[in-house]
Formats: sequence, C-alpha cells, structure tokens
Amino acid sequence: MSKYTIVSELVGTPGEEFVPDEGINIDALIWGGFIKSDNKAPKSAKTEPTEENQ
Amino acid sequence: MATSTYLSNPTVTVNSVALTGFATAATLTRTNTAQDTTVFGNTARVYSATIEDNELTVSLYMTYGASETYATLATLVGTATTVVVKPTSSATSATNPAFTLTNTYLETLPVLNATLGEISSIDITFRGGTYTAATS
Repeated sequence: MSKYTIVSELVGTPGEEFVPDEGINIDALIWGGFIKSDNKAPKSAKTEPTEENQ
Repeated sequence: MATSTYLSNPTVTVNSVALTGFATAATLTRTNTAQDTTVFGNTARVYSATIEDNELTVSLYMTYGASETYATLATLVGTATTVVVKPTSSATSATNPAFTLTNTYLETLPVLNATLGEISSIDITFRGGTYTAATS
C-alpha cells in the first residue's frame, strides 16, 4: 500500500503520514507539493551470470 | 427577528488542502432535481425527487506561490475530488456541521483573471458529487 508524508501545513502537520479520505486526488497533491510519496522506485531484478551472458 | 445569526467565516477544504486563507465566499447548494409527475385529476402540479445535482461555488484569491491556490487546483480540472465546507473553524458538531461533496467535478479553472490595480481572484464551481453533512 502506498504511503505519503505531509509537506504543507495546509494539508496537516508536516512530517506526519497523510492518509487520504475517499475521493482525494493524490496525484494533484503530489504535483502541488503538498505531500510526497514514500514509495521507493522498484529495483531492477538482478540476473545471475550464466555462460550465455558472460 | 433571527434568534441565531453568525458572521460568515467558513472553512474551505479542497482535495484535503485548507484554502480558507484564500477564500472570500463559498456557497454550497444541495439540489434534488424535480420531475413533474402531475397526472389528470390533479389540481396542482406534483413534483417528485429524481437525482441530486449539488454544487459548490468558491471565490478565491488567485496566487501562484508554492502550495497555494494555483498549485491546489491546476491538476484538478477535468477530475473529481472531495471538498468540505464548514460554517466556522470550530469542531464539527450539530451546530457546526461539515458539509462534504465527494467525487465532485471541477470543469473549469480561470488560470488568469487580472485587472489593473486589483488583487486577482477567481470563482470556481464544483459540480455534482455525493452530499453528506457530518455532525461529529
């Protein structure tokens, strides 16, 4: 599940987790700089060296 | 004479952003569109409820600063969001209900409304959405 942190005091207390109510447009809040996403970009899968790709 | 009056000072929250400090007017109108169901034999028009068609109009000072009016509204155009208005900033109660429109649609946004020598302000309208009035 995605987690978000409050950046602007217009949304709540900065630093606290933002839990969106029903119908809230998360992308608009991130775009406007009101909250930030705590999700890290997924790492690419590591591939073990094989005889073919060495 | 009215026994209970209050000086207009509502709170306005759009998409979880408190825009009270930018707002100068707010009108939330709850409408249930009437359907004429008058039939032969009636001596007066009869109307029945159909579906709700609610609307919130807000006047705001237009600002382009970080995390202010434009930043709140720019990406909401053409989408649905949730708005909340309350008569005062006091805690939500039976005498200070929180009126909410959920999944209400912002069709247009005046991105610039400038007049020489005047502070820029805009009027926006949220259309539709499910109406609720919380008292706690």
